[in-house]
Amino acid sequence: MSNPSKVTKAEDDTQGRASVAGARKPGATFEPRIVAFLCKWCSSAGSDLAGVSRIQYSANATPITIPCSGSVSPMYILSAFNKGADGVLISGCHPGDCHYMEGNYLARRKLYLVKELLQFIGLESERFRMSWVSAAEGAKFAEVVDEFVEDLRVLGPQNRLKAKR
Amino acid sequence: MVNVEEIRDYAANLLKKGEVKSVLGFRRGSASAFAEPCTITDVGEATSLVWDPTCLNNLTLYLVKDRKQQAAAKNPDNRPVGIVAKGCDSRAIGVLLQENYFKREDVVVIGVSCEGTGVVDPRKLSAKLKGRTASRVTFGGADGINVSVYGDETETVIPAREILADRCLECRAAVPALNDVVFGEAVGAREFDEPFHAAKEAESLSADERWATWEHHFDRCLRCFACRAVCPMCYCPECVVDSTTFVVTLGTSAEEKANRIRWCERSANTSESAVYHLTRTIHLAGRCIDCGECERVCPVNIPLRLLNTKLEKEAFEMFEYQAGHDIEQASLLSSFRDEDPNSFIR
Repeated sequence: MSNPSKVTKAEDDTQGRASVAGARKPGATFEPRIVAFLCKWCSSAGSDLAGVSRIQYSANATPITIPCSGSVSPMYILSAFNKGADGVLISGCHPGDCHYMEGNYLARRKLYLVKELLQFIGLESERFRMSWVSAAEGAKFAEVVDEFVEDLRVLGPQNRLKAKR
Repeated sequence: MVNVEEIRDYAANLLKKGEVKSVLGFRRGSASAFAEPCTITDVGEATSLVWDPTCLNNLTLYLVKDRKQQAAAKNPDNRPVGIVAKGCDSRAIGVLLQENYFKREDVVVIGVSCEGTGVVDPRKLSAKLKGRTASRVTFGGADGINVSVYGDETETVIPAREILADRCLECRAAVPALNDVVFGEAVGAREFDEPFHAAKEAESLSADERWATWEHHFDRCLRCFACRAVCPMCYCPECVVDSTTFVVTLGTSAEEKANRIRWCERSANTSESAVYHLTRTIHLAGRCIDCGECERVCPVNIPLRLLNTKLEKEAFEMFEYQAGHDIEQASLLSSFRDEDPNSFIR
């Protein structure tokens, strides 16, 4: 994992964090801010595994651990966009693996509707993403986040649903 | 043709026998041709009931209000309520039954069939009449809708397609499926728009065009909450976007006040109104029966129906779910199938 581009990204991390706290500096490269809702039983452990395996991946995602992907209220997503997230990632257990038997199936249906609705009002479809990541898939988690960051870099900052205060 | 005398007789009979405490219906409004909702408790009042294309309201709202009133009353009157229901209204009752908001025996559904037409859109009608006020609006059978205006009592037939409400043009079930009695013929075929016509049209625009449209609409929203007040499905005692029941007392600390959860601010700006409308749409997913009341009452003409029908369309196409069609069915968001779309997930 000595990919030079990844190293640069890791160095960029400090800059990314600074931009979360304060206003973005003009001229600085755009660092997308991702809010990642991770299921406690799988994706959260998956992101942990990515960390302890020392996999280098973009540090743009702010993880929020939730009990189950089925517990994600659409309000979490709207609220994240409202407060300036460039992308929202929701990650849960693969179908059939839910700790609560059917939470991820319910999430799949609910979040499909949220995705369709956000697209319908004209938010770029790439800004909302869902993934199935198990506790053993640290590498997949890193890949999902990297891919998401790349796509968001192309789109630029999210200004449509962001509160203008 | 629905004979309004039959509806009156049926309502009077229900009241006479004491089977219902009241009948919700339509009567002639005091201004112009439009009917207004009324609650009838006396047998004699039943003669004031009307049925014509101006019976716009979804009376299910008043069933919900009655339920809330009885729940708060000291001596609740739990006798059933009779209600005059169109096809869409009966679906609303179906959703409320599905959600156990009240029981089937609490309501007597006096169904009326729209018979291949529907109700008029007041905005389309006034545009059509070019500023004159309609004095009488009646069903004109297959030809359209008979309209006469003040000062000129000759009836003009306007093709139904030109003045019917959008939802009626797309309606698939104009006959109340849930009923105790139905007046009027069950006309199946309707030659207006295909279902979800308006939503499909809006979808065909590019993402930027769609956002430009909705940004404009959300920007104009006054946050008067009329859409929420008129919706029979918006019966939550406290709305998530507008927590008015947060009690501030002398003992409430500054921290408690600061930390109360506010999903969106009450100020009427684009981003907050977007959160409000999107939240409302999601909360109505699989529950909205397309009565179009939210759009009708909107003072700034936001096409709210589009948002709701978009999700209705997805529910129908992806999950084969139709709100209010089967009261035994599990609700849209509390059920799933193995073949639900999965390809959008990485």
